[in-house]
Amino acid sequence: MSWEIAVERAINNNVPRVYKILKEHPYILDLAKELREAKLKVLENLDYYVDKTLDSVKRAGGHGYLASTPEEAREIVGKIVGKGKTVVMGKSMVAYEAGIREFLIRQGNEVWETDLGEFLIQLANQPPSHIIAPAIHLTKEEVEKLLKEKIGGVHEGSTHEELVARVRQFLREKFVNADVGITGANAVASDTGTIALIENEGNIRFSSISPAMHIAITGVDKIVPTLADATKEVLVQSAFAGLYPPTYVNFTSGPSSTADIEMKRVSPAHGPKEFHLILLDNGRIKASKDPVLREALLCIRCGRCHLHCPVYRALGVKWGDPPFTGPMGAMWSYVVYNDPKPAMYCAHSGNCKEVCPMKINIPKVLEYIKWKGNKQKA
Amino acid sequence: MNDLKTLRDVLVENLERNMMPFPVDKGICTGWTRDLPRSGETIIYTSCMYQLAPLFPIFNRFLPYLSALKSLTPLASKLKPSEAQLNRAYNVLRKISNALTAKGIKLAYLYDDEPYSGALLLELGFLDEFQEYAKKVYERFKERGVKRIITVDPHTHHALTRYSEFFSFDVEVVNYIELVEAKEGDGNVYTIHDSCLYSRFLNLRDKFREKIKVKLVEDEMVTGKDTSFCCGGPLAPVDFKASEEVAKARAKSLSKLSKNLLVQCPICYVTLSPHFEGEVKDVAEVIL
Ligand code: SF4
Repeated sequence: MSWEIAVERAINNNVPRVYKILKEHPYILDLAKELREAKLKVLENLDYYVDKTLDSVKRAGGHGYLASTPEEAREIVGKIVGKGKTVVMGKSMVAYEAGIREFLIRQGNEVWETDLGEFLIQLANQPPSHIIAPAIHLTKEEVEKLLKEKIGGVHEGSTHEELVARVRQFLREKFVNADVGITGANAVASDTGTIALIENEGNIRFSSISPAMHIAITGVDKIVPTLADATKEVLVQSAFAGLYPPTYVNFTSGPSSTADIEMKRVSPAHGPKEFHLILLDNGRIKASKDPVLREALLCIRCGRCHLHCPVYRALGVKWGDPPFTGPMGAMWSYVVYNDPKPAMYCAHSGNCKEVCPMKINIPKVLEYIKWKGNKQKA
Repeated sequence: MNDLKTLRDVLVENLERNMMPFPVDKGICTGWTRDLPRSGETIIYTSCMYQLAPLFPIFNRFLPYLSALKSLTPLASKLKPSEAQLNRAYNVLRKISNALTAKGIKLAYLYDDEPYSGALLLELGFLDEFQEYAKKVYERFKERGVKRIITVDPHTHHALTRYSEFFSFDVEVVNYIELVEAKEGDGNVYTIHDSCLYSRFLNLRDKFREKIKVKLVEDEMVTGKDTSFCCGGPLAPVDFKASEEVAKARAKSLSKLSKNLLVQCPICYVTLSPHFEGEVKDVAEVIL
């Protein structure tokens, strides 16, 4: 019952807001069209763009890696972070996909999710139920109970504001003392090696600036040709997520530096001393070579298709392989985990293809995955 | 999730045998008319959807046990919709047929020779089997000299419009709503559940809106083009429980708008009826 209430509230809050944003800022639709073209260009030649991106990261003073599998990604992160560190994480689906948080904890680090939703599901020990609102399945009342049990400091009948304030107070100290910040990336510009991140909470800015080391982990599908395209990506993603304008847009090209003394460039300045970018493949490069599955890689994780999908509304987190839920998740469960089962649950309602900013014909991709899955079984 | 491999085997076996997805008494399919000629260039094509739809919930409840009880499938031919269910289905088909004839269309009907469209294979992603079977359906149409098909339900219409993706298909496919003249309605106020296929795949949403002259209670968050949810029916062969959850949620939001609901598809009708608080009618029952 609580899922039904929670998702109903989310739909009623978010869906009209996205329509309003798109009406008030019609240029977003043009940017979305351009972004689709730019992303397709990369996906048609992904190997080349991966190399180019890693080169650019190096030129910007950072370290770039391509991880073929989640194990490889964990190994890279493990080597960089080591043990006994305090790690703050900004929301990253790819970090979840690669099991980074649990791995670092097992390695003897103190690790905190800092996005409010992620923090809540970390406390609850649950998988994310939506790609941009991972705790969408929790009602306010459940959040209150959870915080009371796990970190205390909330009273019965707390307001939304009071609950958020308690988390803010709890995490503040973690941000300040963290040795490492791990984030995802909404887009990676291959010409400059810049990562783009949007957020509203400020946790990503904190996580990527305050610690001495910033590790960004994302999928190779997030590569766009240029920094200008990365800018389009963040605008389009935030608009279609119903969070426009985004409170914070973060661009990071390498570690912090200054040339304020005799114009000699010195690193670090106030921000991190080291910047690492890990690009995860995990089935993406293979999918990019398949003209139908390639469409799935265009997804910019706005989460809009979820809220227009009758199956997601009914099944929620039960549909898809975490962190992939909803219509995009049914595609991505196959791309990443080679699991065609979630695609079988597509009832071809078709709303998803109508509302997707990248104009992905999601039912068509899912029909193809059904076919592939049926052939595997046969 | 049901065992789709066994379901596939049952479907393919029956389609090979009698061009129907499961064993059925063909009399159920053809009982709605005796007046139409058996051959002609233009046919009304029911794919037996309205007639058999009342049985779908029974089949869907049986599917989780299909692998264990496969030997019982021939018994399906003993199942019959109730008299009231059949009368309703026949009434819809007669209304559509009469409305088409009234427009001067010379309509034929293939009676016992009318094959199933293969829609279920397509929707379950058995694309190779669909292609194979669709070719046979096409051959049947060619043998019978069919040049133009008038469909009456979205699943059949969709399946036929997809044939040309798999092989060269040169029969014209048109939906009845594009051809008929609609009446003013019965004076009642309705809300509407659009067929997903008509609305977002076949570009017929506006056509239905144009022909429906009764007063509709709409809400942008419930009956809008991108917001109106599926009835859950297409999910039933995969997972009946999940399909019921979708259906309940859909019926609940529609019930808030009106106690009278219009649907455009026999599957939507059988899926939503048990959960909708009020009366459900097919569009054809009201506007023709
Ligand atoms: S598939 Fe489209 S609508 Fe869904 S999350 Fe991705 S970009 Fe957004």
